[in-house]
Amino acid sequence: MTANRTDLTLLRRGAAVLLTAALVTGCSSAVADQRNGGFSSGGGEQILHIGSTNDIVPGTVFTNSSDTTNTLIGSVYDSLVDYPLDSLDAQPSLATSWDVAKDGTSITLDLRDDVSFHSGREFTSKDVEFSIRTWADPVWTVQLQRTAAAVTDFDTSDPHRITLGFDHPLSNILDLLDMVPIIDSESFDQLKTGEAYVGTGPFVFESWTPNAKVELSANEDYWGGAPGVDGIEVSVISDPQAQVSALRSGQVDLVTGASNRDLATLAEDDKYTVSQSDYGQQVYVGADLANPALKDVRLRQAVAYSLDRERILDEVYQGAGVTTSIPWAETSPAYDEELAHHYDLDAAKAKSLLAEVGDVGTLPLSYPAGNANYEATAQIVQANLEATGIRTELKPVEFTQFIKQLIAGEFGGLWILQHSYAQYTPSTLAVSAYPFNADKNASHFVDDDYKAHADGAWTRASGVDEGAVKLYGELNKDLIDNAFLLEIAILKGQVATSDKVGGEFTWSKRGELQLDDVTLGG
Amino acid sequence: MSAEIIIPGELDDSLDPTQHDVRPQRRRALTQGRGLVGLVLVGIVVVLGFAAPLLAPYSPNEQIPGANLLGPSSTHWLGTDEVNRDVFSRMVHGIRVDLLVVFLAVPLGAILGSLVGLVTSWWRITDVLTQRVFDVILAFPSLILAIALSAFLGPGLWTVVIVIVAAELPVFGRLVRTSLRTVREMPFVEAAEVVGAGPLWVLRRHVLPNSLEPLTIQLAVSMSVAVFIEGAMSFLGLGVRPPAASLGSLIRDGVRTMYDAPYFAVGPLLVVVALVLGLLLISQALAESRRA
Amino acid sequence: MARYLLKRLPSTLVVLLAASFLIFVMIRLVPGDPVTALAGPDATEEARAAIRADLGLDRPVLTQYVVWLGQVLTLDLGRSYRLGGQVSDLLATGAANTLVLTITALLLATAIALVASTVGVIADKKWLNAILSAINTVAVAVPTFVTGLVMVLLFAVLLPILPAGGTPPAGYLARIDITVQYLLLPAVCLALPASAALTRFLTESLRTQLRQPYVMTARALGIPRRRIVLTQALRNALPSALTVLGIQFGTLLGGAVLVEAIFSWPGLGRLIEQGISARDYPVVQVLLLLSVAVFVLTQLVTDVLHAALDPRVRLAGSTPGGK
Repeated sequence: MTANRTDLTLLRRGAAVLLTAALVTGCSSAVADQRNGGFSSGGGEQILHIGSTNDIVPGTVFTNSSDTTNTLIGSVYDSLVDYPLDSLDAQPSLATSWDVAKDGTSITLDLRDDVSFHSGREFTSKDVEFSIRTWADPVWTVQLQRTAAAVTDFDTSDPHRITLGFDHPLSNILDLLDMVPIIDSESFDQLKTGEAYVGTGPFVFESWTPNAKVELSANEDYWGGAPGVDGIEVSVISDPQAQVSALRSGQVDLVTGASNRDLATLAEDDKYTVSQSDYGQQVYVGADLANPALKDVRLRQAVAYSLDRERILDEVYQGAGVTTSIPWAETSPAYDEELAHHYDLDAAKAKSLLAEVGDVGTLPLSYPAGNANYEATAQIVQANLEATGIRTELKPVEFTQFIKQLIAGEFGGLWILQHSYAQYTPSTLAVSAYPFNADKNASHFVDDDYKAHADGAWTRASGVDEGAVKLYGELNKDLIDNAFLLEIAILKGQVATSDKVGGEFTWSKRGELQLDDVTLGG
Repeated sequence: MSAEIIIPGELDDSLDPTQHDVRPQRRRALTQGRGLVGLVLVGIVVVLGFAAPLLAPYSPNEQIPGANLLGPSSTHWLGTDEVNRDVFSRMVHGIRVDLLVVFLAVPLGAILGSLVGLVTSWWRITDVLTQRVFDVILAFPSLILAIALSAFLGPGLWTVVIVIVAAELPVFGRLVRTSLRTVREMPFVEAAEVVGAGPLWVLRRHVLPNSLEPLTIQLAVSMSVAVFIEGAMSFLGLGVRPPAASLGSLIRDGVRTMYDAPYFAVGPLLVVVALVLGLLLISQALAESRRA
Repeated sequence: MARYLLKRLPSTLVVLLAASFLIFVMIRLVPGDPVTALAGPDATEEARAAIRADLGLDRPVLTQYVVWLGQVLTLDLGRSYRLGGQVSDLLATGAANTLVLTITALLLATAIALVASTVGVIADKKWLNAILSAINTVAVAVPTFVTGLVMVLLFAVLLPILPAGGTPPAGYLARIDITVQYLLLPAVCLALPASAALTRFLTESLRTQLRQPYVMTARALGIPRRRIVLTQALRNALPSALTVLGIQFGTLLGGAVLVEAIFSWPGLGRLIEQGISARDYPVVQVLLLLSVAVFVLTQLVTDVLHAALDPRVRLAGSTPGGK
């Protein structure tokens, strides 16, 4: 009796073990399943899976503040004009042609008449007015808010033609028209809460699950031709390493937030392709003149000459970028080859400048905490400055607090951060990027010449003519001589894709992925 | 973490007010079996930490030109990190940070907690109030406490110390309070109080000797918890500030380069395990010898 | 018991109220505010003022607190600043993920503890007990982030057979076999310390049971040791083990913060980390209050159960010794 019972129990236990084993190994492996794209492409649908670092934040959906937002805006919306990557010669998009008035205070645009929103409603000049007015509303904190607010007059009497009138000439008006997505006024309340994003673009917004994913489907009636995939699913994977794991396991086809080192490793692997956009952000060291030692321009210049930009670019960013001393991309009308190398590493100059200044004590060096790139950059900068004889104390500051200190100008020393706009009309940077703001900036740098040059460059009819270029020369001189913002490098945006992803794969000048021509192969 | 906190009731059932001198027993607990293993493990880590300047071939923050993320070799035993520093040198120096946390923050929390426990539990009102405050503190998981506190103070070594003190204070406060209550309810103490013995006399003669033992055990447990908290905080980026290294920050750096250099995190991981395991074994041995 | 509960209830409510106020004020004292977090570096002062008014942050703090308290009491948790969605929705999704993970870990821990303790007690071999106790010590000693990292390193990086993190893409119920694989690493990582504590406790109480007179009688009647352990002793030891299990559940919820961070598990732990970094007050307030409430209520339930079992406590009511 007892023996029988034991046998039975043993048998039962054995069965349980086998069953568990079958569950874990026998059925199918999640890893293998992901690799084959098994579970989500039911019905033979071609869905592009993207791994993205930051989720959508509905309140700041127009500020290009996260990679998911960028993909959303770039896929769902169109703008009036599109800049090519290598120049400021705007190309038609929703606007077919345009004409800037001689005095530079208005622009007239002809609009496409064959475009409708995803809701079915026809696109008209009223929508342009609504979109620009929305951008001018400070609550959206868009980057070109000041430029949008300077557009004060809208003539929408013709549904397929619009005339915009300005307070004063706007040299960067086409920058604005390149950046403003044309949004649908009827669904605006849902846009505020993240429930609906209705545009005219190649993809239609389907759903957003906070902290998890965004689903888009192809707009088969897109005026520029239907996209190459049936849909896009963006998964929010906040950890860069988890993104790489997801790519390696086939869970996603494209990642936007892998670390530079992981990208370098992936680039060596045949199964993956790493693509670079021409422009990403620019990483820089800022100097706060409120610090008595940094008030001396010679110390700031000594810091500038101490930075080993090549090493930072190579070791931290794996060479994905270009070192520079000025805030412009090579394609910018303000670019100056010689000045771009003005502050190249020069230990002797740095030391002799420091010798003139004398002992400066220990400078605080703040950077946003929790970011591996900033942390490594900060430690290299610290070692660079140490070599010159400038002591620093590293201060990792939590990001939200960091931004607060930046706005309030509370660093009291050096700081490391990134800024954008290297590739746009130079006045856009001078007017919109906070660290360069001539009226008030984190460096406490106030200078009448600088302000006059920055305003002059903004309030003129053209941002690319001879007169403009002359002003940029003055602006460059202000930036280099005063050395309140020490550029390190222009970085390139990078994404890694699996070998499943084919077709044309590009970026807009705004840094958004252009996914309409992407295809998925075996 | 509170899984490892000793429930005071368990210890108190063996309390014997006449048994004041327990030192010989404790010594025996640490010279054999798991106590010895624990002592050896902790000893090795402590020696590594103290001898760091002698053992480390490089200065912990020295950036060696060109040595970017090298693998283990005879010149760099554990390889080099993202900013060209020798990982072994950083590890032995990093141990010092953890030792500081273990041997400074925990005793500080223990002393403060015991004092608060002793003083407040004498009167009914302060006792109830303190217990409620302890309730509130203990109600926050220590990691959430850590995240919140470091949002206040910014990341750094002292933030770690403060978090550990804040997390340990109520634990020791509770422990001392329970001992005190048990002792005060004993007939001869009640009798002594009736004939006019003051609080200090009761404290010195009965409470302290009887609390010492559970306190020592809890101290060892709390120290291992402290290593854990340091590691977890540094792992989440709330620990020591660069360029300083701690075991936790080294592990975090190692994880960042997991695919390129999986060996990077192994050294610091082993040290953390040795330290935590050693301290826990010591506490177990002490608790056992006490029960015996 | 009802009377005891009534006596304890006021102090519980006071703790909760004090904690809610503390949380509310504390989170506003943290440097950096939600407006800057939302507006970003290039926003104008005008833009920040507009957002501040939009969020209702321009009102006095006390007014804000009273409004919030009223909201919480009517179960209206407000909207998240950062995500725009309803806090209750975010909370529900996060809680579901955390609960799935925690409950799996709890079941796993219970299973491991039951097997390890009964096998150890039944076999009663010195060497087996030594091994079990050694494993136990290691399981308690090795910090969660160490086990987590080692497991990711082993099973997702070096030997890629299990996902390194995340939840099953098609949901938990779509494919159970896939779900198991996603849950395995984080659940084991979370379960290990809890299972060690439970094993220790169960082994201890089983041993105590075996010293009871009824066991002697049973033994004298010739009933095998295994039967006694599996039927009588286990049945008697389980109720108190359940209490320990309850305490462990709270601990597991706390430990989930780290495990969620390692395995990018979108649960409450990650929600609170994100919430704090964005200064998303509505989310953080509710989550902190929730964690305090869970702790306080667990304590209350434990005490009430304790009182139900021990008449002395019930009669003594709220004397400090009764806790």
